[in-house]
Order: sequence, then structure tokens, then C-alpha cells
Amino acid sequence: MRPPQLQAHIYILAAVAAVLSAVGVRAQDAQPGGTANHIVIIRQVHFNPPQMTVKAGETVEWKNEDIFSHTVTADDGSFDSGLIDPGNSWQRTFKQAGTIGYHCRPHPNMKAALVIQGTNETGAVANVAGRGGTLKWSPPTRPEELHPILVNFTAALLPLALLSDILGRIFRRQSFHHAAWWMVLYAAVITPFTAAAGWWWRLTEGSALPAKLIAVHEWLGSTAVVLFVILAIWRWSIHKRNTLPNWAYLTFALIVVLALVYQGSLGGRMVFGK
Amino acid sequence: MKLRKSYLWVFASAVLLAAGAVTACAQAPTDPQIAGIVQTANQIDINQAKLALKKTSNPQVKEFANQMISDHTSLEKSVNDLAKKLGVTPEDSATSKQLKQQAADETKKLVSLHGKAFDKEYASHEVAFHQTVIDAAKTTLIPNANNAELKSALEGAAPLLQGHLEHAQQLEQSLGAK
Repeated sequence: MRPPQLQAHIYILAAVAAVLSAVGVRAQDAQPGGTANHIVIIRQVHFNPPQMTVKAGETVEWKNEDIFSHTVTADDGSFDSGLIDPGNSWQRTFKQAGTIGYHCRPHPNMKAALVIQGTNETGAVANVAGRGGTLKWSPPTRPEELHPILVNFTAALLPLALLSDILGRIFRRQSFHHAAWWMVLYAAVITPFTAAAGWWWRLTEGSALPAKLIAVHEWLGSTAVVLFVILAIWRWSIHKRNTLPNWAYLTFALIVVLALVYQGSLGGRMVFGK
Repeated sequence: MKLRKSYLWVFASAVLLAAGAVTACAQAPTDPQIAGIVQTANQIDINQAKLALKKTSNPQVKEFANQMISDHTSLEKSVNDLAKKLGVTPEDSATSKQLKQQAADETKKLVSLHGKAFDKEYASHEVAFHQTVIDAAKTTLIPNANNAELKSALEGAAPLLQGHLEHAQQLEQSLGAK
């Protein structure tokens, strides 16, 4: 006979497991399962349409309705379908923005192009949609996954530290100031990782990001790393002297928080559009 | 010299087709003769590709020859299906006979060659052959086709032949045949 408390825990775990597995099943169902967003028909030794505009992250399918075998081969050699026999088709998902010319290897006169629009043209980030909108959880390994996760900590810790210091001054409670110091420290530690993930994203998929926004975002982000370190050192000296943060510190922290809000809005604009 | 030889073939074919065109003023090819010319041209290219597969060890040449067999077999089937549908029985003509004779001469030459020399000659011949067939289609076959479906099928085959020509030119260039 299990103790009632343990039994209750088992029920809760079972319920959680059931919910998670149900979510998992639904998530599997929600996966695209190879359906293409656009179709190019190959017929009478032509790609039809000869030029197509798609959004980054979308999948294009080439259907061979000709009586001959053809290939879909990038002019720059970045992809090659191999021979697609009559009646068969081939798919590819395009993540990088840009224009790609392609041709058929056995019939070099068959030429066509794909225009892949990035965030600056579409207002929606294809990189985020890169996993097909699935709900299934998988460990973050790519910069476009790591950066938004780390940003949460950066964005939360500093404003809360400022709020905590303000509340400490209003209610004259030392515990608020202690909390503020630790939060500033954590923010200063985690923010370089946030910036590093951002730069990684920028360097790998920079062309898919809107040029103007990313230019401001990347340098403001890097500046924020330095400001966070200055703020942490300043806050540490206040903490060490066991004094209250003065107005100069609070004003400086407020400016950094406002910069952070603007930085977050730029990031949001890149992800979700205007 | 090689260049001259390959273009000699084009020249001979051009003379033949020009002669055909001149004769055409008096006697244009009939639909059965046009079907016969297309069938002959298909068969010539398939046979020479089969010979290439036997003789070459170059993967590019093999790939090209396999493509010629596959494409021309499909084309031949569609021509035969269309001829059946239209009730046209392909007939021999002076042009088709001349094409066969030239192909026999070229095959003799190809059989006598080996290795790189074979590959270069095969690629050069494929360029010349496809150029000749494209010219023939444009100047003689399409204008003289009476049946609208036959005319449309010939027009539809033009991009395929152009594709083969460009592929053969790429092959020729990569083999340094020129």
C-alpha cells in the first residue's frame, strides 16, 4: 500500500505524461509531412513557371510531367536533384534569401530561377518557420533557436533588477537591493552568450535578415554587453559598500533598460515583421 | 583538322537538306516521309549512343549516351504513337536514305577509333548531327508537315533537340574536342 501523498504524485505524473504524449501526437500530426508550398511543372522541356518567388523557409516541388527525365540543378552547384524520371517529383526547402538560377543538366537550355524573399521583403522570418511550425520539442542547436531563448533572460533580469532597486528604496527593504545585485550579475554573465548567439545567427543567415535592422541590432547588442558589465561592476561596488543605489546609478540603469526595450523591438520586428 | 572533319559532316548534311529543300519546291516531303525522317534520325542517335556505351570508359560520355538512348527512345515512342493515331505509316525518302548512309559511314569511323579519339569524334558528331536535325526540322520538316498535330509535335521536339545540342557542345568542350 503506497502512502496517499506518493499515490497523488503518481497520479499527477501520469496525468502530465498523458498530456505530454497527447501534445506529442498532435505535434506529429501537425508536421507538414512533405507537402510543398509551391509547385513547378516540368513539361515539354521547360520549367513552368520559369521564375517563381517564394518565402525563405518554404518548400518547392518540381513535378516531372514530361516524357523525358530531367534534373533540377543549381547554377552555383548548391543543389542537384539527380535525374527525376517522368511522373516523379522532387522537393527542396529554401532557407537563404536570394536569387538562385537553376537548369536541367541533360538539357542545359532548360533554365529557370527562384527568388527567395527574406525577412526584409516579406516581414516574416523564414528562419523561425524553418521547422515547419511543429509543436514538438527538440533541443535548441541553431543560433536562431538559441538567441531568442537567451534573450528572455537578458530582457527579464535587468528591468527586474532596476524595479527591485526602486522597490527597495520605496519600501526601505534591503532584500530587494540584494536581489537587484544578483540579477544584475546574472544579466552581465548571460548577456555575452545572448550576443554571441545573435552574432552566430547574423554570420550564418545574415543575408536572410533585413540589412538596416540587423546593422543597428548587432551593434546595439554588442554595446549592451559592455554596458551590462559596467553596470554589474557599479552595482557590485554599491553592494560591497552596503549602501543604497544612488540616482545616478538608477538613471544609468534606466537608460540601459530603455536601450534594451528598443533592442527587443528591433528583434521582434525582424522576427514578426512590422 | 578535327574541327574541319566534324563540320564536313554538317556541311554534307546541309547540302543534302538544301538539296532536299530545292527538290521540295517540286516535291515537298509528305507526312509519312517526315515521320520516316524523324524515325530514322532517332534510330541513328540511339544506335550511335549504344556504340558509345560499348566503346567509351569516360563517365561523361556514358552519361550523355545514356541520356540520348533514354530521350530518343521516349521521342521515338511518342512519334510512333502519334503516327498510329494519325494513321500515318512512316516511309523512306531520299533524305532518310541519305541520313542512313551518312550514319553508316560515321559508324564505321567510330568503330575504328578508340579511347579519347573515339570520345572526341562521338561528341563532335553529336553536335553536328543535332545541329543538322534542328536545321532540318526548322527549314524542311515543320514547314512541310500537313497535319497540325504532326507539325505541333515537331515544334515540341525542338527544345529537346536544342537541349541535346547544348549538352553535346558542353561535352565536346570538356573533352577538348575543338
